[in-house]
Amino acid sequence: MAVTPWQLGNIFGPRVAIQVKGDAAGRMIKAAKHPLLISGGNALKEMVGDKPYIEFIVELLKARSMPFIATGATYKDFVDRGLNPIKIMNAVEVVDRLRDSEWSIDGKDPHDLVVFAGLSYQYLSQLLSCIKHFATHLKTICLDRYYHPNADLSFPNLTEEQWIENLKLLLDNVKSR
Amino acid sequence: MEKRPVRFSLKSLESAGLSARDLEIIVGGIEIPEVWEPLGPTPMPKIFMLRSWDFKLLNRYKPFYMPFCDQCCLCTYGKCDLTRGKRGSCGIDMPTQQGRIVVLACAIGTSTHTSHARHMLDRLIEKFGADTPINLGSDINVEMPNTRLVVGIKPKTLGDLSHVLSYVEEQIVQTISTTHTGQEASSLDYESKALHLGMLDHVAMEVADIAQIVAFNFPKGDPNTPLSEIGMGLIDVIKPMILLIGHNVSEGVEIIDYMRRNNLGKPGEILEVAGLCCTAHDITRYESSAKIIGPISHQIRFIRSGAADTLIIDEQCITNLSLIEAQKVKTPFIAVSDKAAYGLPDVSEWPVEKIVSSLTVGGLSGVFLPDLEKAAAVSVLTALQTAPLRQKFKVIPDIKELSTIASKCTHCGRCRRNCPIDLPVDDAVYSLRLGDSSKLAMLHDLCLGCGRCEWECPNHTPVLSLMMKAAEAKIKTEKYKIRVGRGPILDTEIREVGSPIVLGEIPGVVAFVGCANYPEGGLEVALMAREFARRRYIVTTSGCSAMSIAMYRNEEGLTPYEEFSGVFEAGGLVNVGSCVANAHISGAAIKIANIFARRPLRGNYEEIADYVLNRVGAVGVAWGAYSQKAASIATGFNRLGVPVILGPQGLKYRRMYLGRFEDKESFTVYDAKTGRRVWIGPAPEHLIISVENRKEAMVMIAKLCLRPNDTTRGRMIKLTHYIDLYKKIYGKLPEDIHLLVRSEADIPITFKDEVLSYLEKVGWKPWELPSIDPYYSENVFKKYYRGG
Ligand code: SF4
Ligand code: SF4
Ligand code: SF4
Repeated sequence: MAVTPWQLGNIFGPRVAIQVKGDAAGRMIKAAKHPLLISGGNALKEMVGDKPYIEFIVELLKARSMPFIATGATYKDFVDRGLNPIKIMNAVEVVDRLRDSEWSIDGKDPHDLVVFAGLSYQYLSQLLSCIKHFATHLKTICLDRYYHPNADLSFPNLTEEQWIENLKLLLDNVKSR
Repeated sequence: MEKRPVRFSLKSLESAGLSARDLEIIVGGIEIPEVWEPLGPTPMPKIFMLRSWDFKLLNRYKPFYMPFCDQCCLCTYGKCDLTRGKRGSCGIDMPTQQGRIVVLACAIGTSTHTSHARHMLDRLIEKFGADTPINLGSDINVEMPNTRLVVGIKPKTLGDLSHVLSYVEEQIVQTISTTHTGQEASSLDYESKALHLGMLDHVAMEVADIAQIVAFNFPKGDPNTPLSEIGMGLIDVIKPMILLIGHNVSEGVEIIDYMRRNNLGKPGEILEVAGLCCTAHDITRYESSAKIIGPISHQIRFIRSGAADTLIIDEQCITNLSLIEAQKVKTPFIAVSDKAAYGLPDVSEWPVEKIVSSLTVGGLSGVFLPDLEKAAAVSVLTALQTAPLRQKFKVIPDIKELSTIASKCTHCGRCRRNCPIDLPVDDAVYSLRLGDSSKLAMLHDLCLGCGRCEWECPNHTPVLSLMMKAAEAKIKTEKYKIRVGRGPILDTEIREVGSPIVLGEIPGVVAFVGCANYPEGGLEVALMAREFARRRYIVTTSGCSAMSIAMYRNEEGLTPYEEFSGVFEAGGLVNVGSCVANAHISGAAIKIANIFARRPLRGNYEEIADYVLNRVGAVGVAWGAYSQKAASIATGFNRLGVPVILGPQGLKYRRMYLGRFEDKESFTVYDAKTGRRVWIGPAPEHLIISVENRKEAMVMIAKLCLRPNDTTRGRMIKLTHYIDLYKKIYGKLPEDIHLLVRSEADIPITFKDEVLSYLEKVGWKPWELPSIDPYYSENVFKKYYRGG
């Protein structure tokens, strides 16, 4: 697959994300010491097959316990699905603090990996740019179906079917012993 | 060449037979201005003069950068890779480069308003004379608060404004020069320069708007201005139509005058006069029977509708495509500003008849005609003569053509991927191929009208035209009412609301301003404005946002301007006018400090900004900000201590100013009652922040209205709204209440029990000094502290 950003004109470089598949992404999340998951408002709008994206995020969090921040006013929707995210914040406020290499949302060890899911493309693109330049202690991975050059790792641009397949692979790898 | 004035100021002068204090002399221009107040410390500040105030702000609200690209390509050393700590050939690093880009954006924005003001002013002086008085009526004594504050003069005539602009122009040049390769090496210093430009922008806007108000006799703060028509439904007009697009109303006024002189009646009688973008606001301020089509996002679509029989383009927020689009529908095109001449022939020397015949039957599709009086005659005659010839020729496909065009769509997705807001254009066009036009019709409300999807489509699908056809029935019903821009806020209104605002009993002043780069359509702005007006905030608005607010009807069929009063009062919805009228919103904050609290304005910026930051619960919301002008306007509000919330696209401005509630030191102020340093909690928490969606914005608006000066009753009212909105959206109490409740008396009665139990859980204790007289600036504190 060609390395083009999802937004065609939004060309980045020289440093751009490595494209990964679901299995590698899953292994990475599983192996991280203290990952942080940040999800956004699109978690309710994007569909993974016949289910909203949020269902996948909930499943991932159940499979891999990790600190979680619901941005984009989605807190209630996670609670309704039996999950109690530890924090509500605006994504800009989180990324601001992520620049500090000692900071973590739970006050424990600093995060080593930040996983993004369900933020609108342009919004996330700019936030990833901040991390790429000013939070170099962190690795970032994006699970949306659009290639994000500003992340460290990202899915390439995927069709819906490919995305479903990759998310499944990801979950399988997170769950595997 | 024009001589620039040279300014001398003397604290005191004693000479034989003459004794004077605070004397200010300007040589080479005018004038010994009236000394109505003692001269403050910073009249006509240069870049560095307010640097210490900026650094205070930037200490609490630190710049947060999100580069839009990894490199710099501003000189021939480049491109330079600035990723992850690398520096360019000139030595610049990424944060400094971002500050530099922000300065450039603010310089573009400020220059644009300043050159607009200069063009307007020079014309008005030529037409009406430099002695034209600045008289805004008996209810407005503080005529130009930004000018008094920054420049330190109390302008009396249009001629005085020329000197105000000279100062602004000189400062823009000074500031922009700092962006040359290898100059400024500190991102904070660049931010200080951006703040400087933002402040100047409000002065330039004030000059532009006050000049046109006094010369054209626009409403002078009248809360009950008439209602004008607004909406795309105007594509249905049968009469000949002149359409004006841009921001400089000079040409619009000439056209109305020409019609009056030649017995052509009011707009709508023989000829329709309609506008898009801020020019439209300002024509209705001159003649309320002129009509407004809508915000910038409607430009291309409306031109394609073919309704306009002559198109006049002036300046700002216009599109390079307007000539091409006008040619498609055979609408004669007249460019009137030298800022956008479109490569067209300059016909200033031609007689009117020759220009008209060239445009109507002579095969000339457009002209550049900066002679505005002549352009008015040409526009009217051309519209009248061309209307029967072109018969509202349009390029909107008919139903049969729709499916033929759509049948070529391969669902490749490139249109969506080139859409600035990622609209599912591909699905919509492909659905049409399958016979369903509803998705395209829905896009009509969300689309920014930029046309990028069309350029990307391998089949050159005219997406915007398809959208218009699909939404045709709805577009015809798009006719709403907007209250004509009223201009400044009256001193008498400030006297009424000054106290409740400063004490916090009016929960806030929310200003919905700026452009139409909305993430999910203009409806969201209307919904937010309505929500806060219903909650009895004072809602003010301007520019494209003011238009979007009009395009909504409540259950009773009323638009927000019919539902709420136009008074600057709790629950009012105040349309100040076009973008340059934003100066009246910053002006209102300044006037609160001056009229209600009697703080002197003259050259006294830091004190007034400190006052506004600590005591005036105002917040700007630029939900669809896209332009460099919006960047400088927002930055000007920031220097004055007014926080701004941007929609999600706002992150592309590359810089936010963010506070961190955990940084207690930065939220510590001086208390002039006790002389002590006091922690105030995060109030307001940020100076500029972009949020992800409307729900986040609603909560953020309520929160950023908090100020340390709130009385317990005021804080209780503000917290009631914050908690109520938060609970509605998140289903729980906010987790930062313990940082905002100072004593039990602050707790909203409605939420008393749950708040108290939360506070107990987190170990909250009443604050030692809940009621203080807060100052962030040490300089200002020293002036007011009377103790030890
Ligand atoms: S201005 Fe500096 S960073 Fe930019 S291209 Fe020139 S040398 Fe490189
Ligand atoms: S780019 Fe053109 S062909 Fe491709 S999906 Fe969009 S409209 Fe269809
Ligand atoms: S014209 Fe509308 S749909 Fe097309 S790219 Fe621009 S915003 Fe998107």
